[in-house]
Amino acid sequence: MAETVEIDDKKYPQRLKEALKNLTGSLGPKKLYYKGNWSPEIFENCLAVVGSRHLTYYGRKATEQLVTECAAAGITIVSGFMYGGDEAAHSAAVKCGGPGRAGKTIAVMPCGIDRIHPETQKKLYQEILEKGGLIISEYPDLDQPQQWTYVQRDRIVAGLCKAVLVTEAALESGSLITASYAKKFGRKIFAIPGPITSELSKGTIKLIKEGAEPITEAKQILDFFKILPSAKKPSASNGGMSDIPPTGTLEEKIINQLRREPLKADEMARLFAVPVAQLGTSLSLMQLKGFINLEGGKYYIN
Amino acid sequence: MLIKVPSVVNLGLETIKVDIEINLANKGLPGFEIVGLAGKAVDESKERVRTAIQSSDVDFPQKKITVNMAPADVPKEGSMYDLPIALGILSSVLEFKIPEKSLFLGELSFDGSLRHTKGAFLMALFAKESGYTNLYVPKDSANEAAAIKGIKVFPVTDIGQLCRHFLGQEEIIPIVYKQGKEEKTTHVEFDMKEVLGQEQAKRAMEIAAAGGHNIIMVGSPGSGKTMLARALPGILPPLNEPESLEVTKIFSASGGIPPGGSLITARQFRAPHHTASLAGLVGGGSKPQPGEISLAHRGVLFLDEFNEFPRAIMEALRQPLEDGYLTISRSKQRITYPADFMLVASANPCPCGYAMHPKKSCTCGPNQIAKYQKRISGPILDRIDLHISIMPVDASDFKDNQAGSEFLESSEKIRQRVMQAREKQEVRFADEIICANSQMKNSHIKKYCKLAKDVEEILRQASLKFNLSARSYMKMIKVSRTIADLAGSEEITVPHMAEALQYSPRNFETA
Repeated sequence: MAETVEIDDKKYPQRLKEALKNLTGSLGPKKLYYKGNWSPEIFENCLAVVGSRHLTYYGRKATEQLVTECAAAGITIVSGFMYGGDEAAHSAAVKCGGPGRAGKTIAVMPCGIDRIHPETQKKLYQEILEKGGLIISEYPDLDQPQQWTYVQRDRIVAGLCKAVLVTEAALESGSLITASYAKKFGRKIFAIPGPITSELSKGTIKLIKEGAEPITEAKQILDFFKILPSAKKPSASNGGMSDIPPTGTLEEKIINQLRREPLKADEMARLFAVPVAQLGTSLSLMQLKGFINLEGGKYYIN
Repeated sequence: MLIKVPSVVNLGLETIKVDIEINLANKGLPGFEIVGLAGKAVDESKERVRTAIQSSDVDFPQKKITVNMAPADVPKEGSMYDLPIALGILSSVLEFKIPEKSLFLGELSFDGSLRHTKGAFLMALFAKESGYTNLYVPKDSANEAAAIKGIKVFPVTDIGQLCRHFLGQEEIIPIVYKQGKEEKTTHVEFDMKEVLGQEQAKRAMEIAAAGGHNIIMVGSPGSGKTMLARALPGILPPLNEPESLEVTKIFSASGGIPPGGSLITARQFRAPHHTASLAGLVGGGSKPQPGEISLAHRGVLFLDEFNEFPRAIMEALRQPLEDGYLTISRSKQRITYPADFMLVASANPCPCGYAMHPKKSCTCGPNQIAKYQKRISGPILDRIDLHISIMPVDASDFKDNQAGSEFLESSEKIRQRVMQAREKQEVRFADEIICANSQMKNSHIKKYCKLAKDVEEILRQASLKFNLSARSYMKMIKVSRTIADLAGSEEITVPHMAEALQYSPRNFETA
């Protein structure tokens, strides 16, 4: 099932080979196992997108927004197929675009090529293959992932790409390991700025302080890759907001408040000084209309 | 000489008359035998009876004494037959007549005095139904029996006193029933106003109490789940009269009424630990006893750390949750105990507990979380009407606005609203066997919860969007009925239904 590419093969990604050669003198993995669509184009414009396993709602939204635009413009999204940040990046890539021109994505596995890890993401795994993506590993068969293979995997992720986007990361995290490889390889690093109060933003903020480019829109990445944005704007968010509630109502107050920050129902009840029963009524109705969303106990604007 | 003393045997909550036949024969070696499927405690009553009679300054007759308990094929258990046996022997020695239409029950001490004995209340109920007018029971058990009107309950302190009564030397005056103070068997640990924040959870508790709905709370450790549950008894309405009789019956059968106790009027709050055995929780044993779920009848069964309970116990809750009773089947007997309780469950969202915590980060993988949440089976979750997630509150938010905040209502105030809603339900279900919204079956829902077009449309949209099962769909209607009752409205309107949707099962999935 799985096919292989030797290091001497012309097909072997040159960018990865050179990166590792310059760094250590070694030539990198002698053999790469893969499944899916191996073509030179898929390695042309690669952006690594990595983030915490415990991605917050904010991190997920930001990842979706940036990745959707980049993937639609033809950039290959490379990540490590872990749950959380990696999964968000892969999912956004395969979901963007219409049939035939789905976003390209490469998943670099920390385990044997025949193993799906984590198993819960079986569906995403299939989707990547169906949509013309690629699964890569330097390990054969059903090898179990080990602690050190995750780090080894990170060097391939960083090596394949022209730039790395770190979405959310704690101070000690795999995402920062990928970023440090990227730095050694001389890759461009983008980081999403997050709230200074969040543990999961401390890593990205550190990167920004060290010179990474804080990213606020996908155009920055597209400019770096010198690619024009996709003609058809992908519609990632802001759908169905046509039915705006009339001014002065509780619903409008809720929307204005949630635009600033996500809140719990209890907090809103206190803030607006309305009985929680009445607030609950509005929240349910707004949820049904698709204005707002509930996740992890907090309400978010859609 | 043959003497007959009537008493009763309790099989679960069912009571059967037992004739204690005592034969004192002059022929044969002196001895004392009990026949008629007597259990160990009954058999041992020989020694208690012998010593108690001697302590009462009466010579124990040197005859061949045989006691038969008829019907002979029903197993008899317990110490309640001491009094009828001793009385039979004494009536022969002291030559007095045992009055007609009387029942006897009580355990003897060696000194001849009578001890508090379980089952007096059940015997009184039986006496009333079967036309007995006099009950002779230990003094400490007399008050509970006297709760049944129309029969005379004689409080007996010791066996000598009873003999003197029958010989006309001393009179025992029938006891007058005295209702104890509304004894909160579980005293209320917290007032709702002590719970800071958690407005939505408190509102859900209010709805649950008003309609008798089951509720599950999911949240991190320390977010206040247990505190909310412990505050719940404070907002529950008292038991009404038929309910009170039902609960007292169960407690009488299990020996749960204290000496001198009266009818139980407070709703029970049972909180068994997750290491409880299956028999302890749902009832059972070779002589089937009521379990925690039956002791929580018409009250609250609080299962803290719900997903730590063994699977077998959780699944055993399914039938009582649906039917309101549980039948324990043994090869020799089948006993049905009522178990119509309100389930209050609390659970953590993941093994480490911090999956939804705003500050602490969770260390569990999605696999672990899925496995952990699956410990509560779908069918059980489906039977729970209200689902809420509880987020920890920041205590610093409350320093200045704590006093006099309208959000910090006292339990008493909430209880008033709950009682009004219950009254509405009592009127509604006057002709039905059910008494709370949560007990409505589909036919009742059709009859009492007519939905207007727009309300039905909201529910239809929601069931598509939130993937509600058919059962959840019905639950939402019941919950909205209770919300309308709390608001004093006859019709279920859009706001009622919309609020009900806040507590639909989707919350647990997003945890």
